[in-house]
Amino acid sequence: MMTITTSHMHDSQNRSVSGMRPGSGFASLLKLSWRSLFRQRRRTALLIAVVAYATLAILFFWGLTDGFLNSIFNGQARLVTAPVVITAPAYHEDPDPIHALPADGFELEAVLAHPGVQFATPRLDVPGLLRSPYTSVGTLLRGVDPAGELSISDLPSAIREGRFLEQTGEMVLGTGLAATLDVRVGERLAVDASSLAGPVAKGLIVVGIIDSGIEVVDDFTTLVHLDDARELSGVTTMTALALDVAQGREAVVAQELNLDLPNNVRAYGILDQMGELATGLAAERIQMIPIGLLFSLFAAIAVTSSLVVSVMERTREFGVMLSLGLDHRRLGLMVTLEAILGSLLGFVLGLAMGFGLLYWLQEVNILGPLFSTLYGDFLQGLAIGTDIRAEMRFEYISYAIVTVVLAAVFAIITPARRVARLIPAEAMRAAE
Amino acid sequence: MNRQAGMLLRVALALRASSRILLTGILMALAGPVNAQVSATAEELLDTMVESLRGGGQRATVEMLVERPGETVRYELEIISDGTERSLTRVLAPEREAGQAFLVDGNTLYIYAPRLGRALRLPPSGRSDGFLGSDLSYDDLAGDEVRDAYDASVLRSDEATVVLSLVPRSGAATPYGELRFTASLPDLAPSELLYIDQRATPVKRLTLSDYVLLDDGRSVPTRFVVEDLTERGGRTVATWTEAEFGVTPPDRCFTLEALERGCSW
Repeated sequence: MMTITTSHMHDSQNRSVSGMRPGSGFASLLKLSWRSLFRQRRRTALLIAVVAYATLAILFFWGLTDGFLNSIFNGQARLVTAPVVITAPAYHEDPDPIHALPADGFELEAVLAHPGVQFATPRLDVPGLLRSPYTSVGTLLRGVDPAGELSISDLPSAIREGRFLEQTGEMVLGTGLAATLDVRVGERLAVDASSLAGPVAKGLIVVGIIDSGIEVVDDFTTLVHLDDARELSGVTTMTALALDVAQGREAVVAQELNLDLPNNVRAYGILDQMGELATGLAAERIQMIPIGLLFSLFAAIAVTSSLVVSVMERTREFGVMLSLGLDHRRLGLMVTLEAILGSLLGFVLGLAMGFGLLYWLQEVNILGPLFSTLYGDFLQGLAIGTDIRAEMRFEYISYAIVTVVLAAVFAIITPARRVARLIPAEAMRAAE
Repeated sequence: MNRQAGMLLRVALALRASSRILLTGILMALAGPVNAQVSATAEELLDTMVESLRGGGQRATVEMLVERPGETVRYELEIISDGTERSLTRVLAPEREAGQAFLVDGNTLYIYAPRLGRALRLPPSGRSDGFLGSDLSYDDLAGDEVRDAYDASVLRSDEATVVLSLVPRSGAATPYGELRFTASLPDLAPSELLYIDQRATPVKRLTLSDYVLLDDGRSVPTRFVVEDLTERGGRTVATWTEAEFGVTPPDRCFTLEALERGCSW
């Protein structure tokens, strides 16, 4: 049985080698390597599976990481602040209404003319104290233009009871804050604030309760009409102009706007607004790189290990090929090409499976409920809800191709070198 | 009967500057053929009741007991008030709180912390929050909110008492749905202020007693009991142990310097 197999192999190999003249081109070696892959289907299948798994894992890893980070940034931009805000640098450093935007700080028309700015609406944040008959809570009241806020914020769509602001004398609260104050829709809260002119108090009727499922939003959100905020603060302008900008374009648009804005008025993208939190999250992403590289490294080692075993099993075959005139350099190259071709097959399969998985996780919200179940406590401090979608970027291909490169390098270092040292006569006598 | 009582109240208002004895006599004489509109005088009634609550210009020592489940803390306070919108309160005891002082000037409230050695301006909420961890706030003592933020109407009255219903005005900075302010007749001495939430449930009660009759006919309470009627519970009893009413403290008693160093005259 063994003899039959060997002779069959030799026949096949002889046909391949005899079809290639000494010194013939790279294409012939490539063809030979390609055929070799399919002569040892189980081993090749294992090699492809390992690389495919590593590629899929890398794609999933980065798609998950970036999707999670994007959910945080998007949640922050749509629920807590805005994609881009124009404000005074002094206010950015010290968010006190006394640092509100100057009345003639910038030309709104010029800002709106920027192609990246889809919408703009004024906001005025005022520290205040909410008093119910049962308790009082300090909070930051956000004065908004109700119509404008509908276009830029996700908060209006998160109202679960009542409605959004329509006129002065009204307020909208997060459900956690409403529970703390024990206030219901239709009831009045007393609001105390220190305006520029001295203490001011107003009674505002709660018209809506926000229930976003995000603790940081539900426990702290207080929206009032812009005119009420102006009365409570004594500020006649705004603390920030909130801009709607497409996701991923925030930093660029802010940078471009700053070219035309005076020095006492600056535009800040979402990452600048998040400050240390954004820096920390960016650092987290960088720290993920070694983990991604580990995936590639393990996959490449598995490929190399598979090749080493393959080379050991095919020693006689290689001896025959050497005796037929294939030099050591070309034989080593052939083994390396086998590693590259096998890895590429696994890579392509992994890409297909990986992007398919990411597409599915982008379309269907599986990760949100999963994360909130597993890491609910950890996520509570972030404006991230139960809707977390995977990210899908073509740059992940470059991260995953590291596996193929490493497999090729390792193949050159170990199996190819082993082949290059073979002595034809000894190799042909080697037991299978 | 209510109309007769209403007339009594009107007369009581008109003659509040006269002596209690004279007032009582006249009221008794007029108790029969009266016909007046009580609702028209509700705001004036409220004004009189608040004035009695405030007690006018005064210099007093007040014992305040803050009662919490399993614990009662006793404070001794020195209060100087001009009877309008200014007052200076200094903590005399207990020792760990002694020296702490509060200055109210209209809506502005300052606190002096001896450990810091400086005066701090408190947010506007300082007036409505209980001071020194008690249930008693400056608004309870001053009555400004009661007078400024509510529309008054007479809820009921008889020979002995009148009860005003105070409903918040539109946009009023109050979280309550209604206040019920009770005074005894004929001198309109305030006896109870009941705070009711917006679900018609009483949440806080201020009970006033131990009146001092001033020369202008006002009966000024010298014992305040504030009860938290919510599940949280708690009670604060403030008793004027020494009091000098009808005085006019100098303006220098209501300055930041007086807050830090005290004021004697």
